[in-house]
Amino acid sequence: MADGGAVAGIDEALVARASGGDTRAFERLYREHVGRVHGLCLRMARDAQLAEDYTQETFIRAWRALDRFEARSQVSTWLHRIAVNVVLERRRRRELPVEYVEDAAEYDRDNDTFDTPVEEAELEATIASLPPGARDVLTLCGIYGYAHGEAAAMLGIAEGTCKAQLHRARALVRARLESGVGR
Amino acid sequence: MSDHVGKLSAIGDLRRNIAPARDLWPGIASAIGAATPTVTTSDAQPRPVARPRWSLAAIHPAWAMAAAVACVAVGVWIGRETLPQAPAATSSGIAQAVSYVPDARFERTRERLLRDVSARLAELRPDTRARVEASLTTVQRARADIEAALGRDPANALLQEMLVNSYQDEMRLLTTVRESWVGGQEIGT
Repeated sequence: MADGGAVAGIDEALVARASGGDTRAFERLYREHVGRVHGLCLRMARDAQLAEDYTQETFIRAWRALDRFEARSQVSTWLHRIAVNVVLERRRRRELPVEYVEDAAEYDRDNDTFDTPVEEAELEATIASLPPGARDVLTLCGIYGYAHGEAAAMLGIAEGTCKAQLHRARALVRARLESGVGR
Repeated sequence: MSDHVGKLSAIGDLRRNIAPARDLWPGIASAIGAATPTVTTSDAQPRPVARPRWSLAAIHPAWAMAAAVACVAVGVWIGRETLPQAPAATSSGIAQAVSYVPDARFERTRERLLRDVSARLAELRPDTRARVEASLTTVQRARADIEAALGRDPANALLQEMLVNSYQDEMRLLTTVRESWVGGQEIGT
């Protein structure tokens, strides 16, 4: 909803002001985007406290990188890139390696169906139960709508691997929902 | 999510915005060295221009419901195609380094309204939907103009007033759409 151009215009104006040191403009950017950034962090981290830490770190890094923001990008996407970096870095520090499946084939199925009805909470719980690699890709592509190329670039993986992970994630979600995991 | 949803594509309908349980801004402000205290609508420090009869800090769902009664008639058209340029000085002539920042509760309410209305827009008649979208676009473009002008003149009290008004206009429009739906009447009927 809403006019994307107008919203982007607001964001650009706020970034311009924040780049000049206007912390109030940056606070407005924070208020506008914190839910979207936190939603991503929460799904990737699966921990409310960690998600808050990562969200905070994302905005601190964004402040320090304002002069590198490119106007052709969307602020929301730029913030998500930073957030993904934060999560992956912290995950590495916590020695939680992510295993990505190899690119075995092209996976473009997007309309798999379940045999039973699905509730939002059940779906979220099932996504949270996925291995990190599959969960990351499903979060970026499935929930936030990024194309494979964008998601792969954020995660530092090959596009084919991203497709394979999405396929794997969808298969796991379907199987787990049908077997009752997350209920 | 309704009971009959049975597609994996339902993943795409999951909420994208999930607000944190606490306001993270104080920690961020501390880390980035925000020199001046944050002025939100819930702060005790007065804004340079404030409408006594209306405060964003007081907004909550109940307000949104009540606002529907007072809001303009159906088929809202916010008549702000263009906004005046920023005045050279504040009316008081005293520049105050204060600006408007909506607080977290207001943002949550606004987000919820946007989500509700967004979900219902598709079910409106095409001409009604076009009017609502045009009105929202007008409000949001106006806000972009105001933000840009505030970038040139951050302490301008008139611009800050206009910024607050733009939020008010948007809330009024969103509330009108939502309440007309709740009341079983489509806008314009």
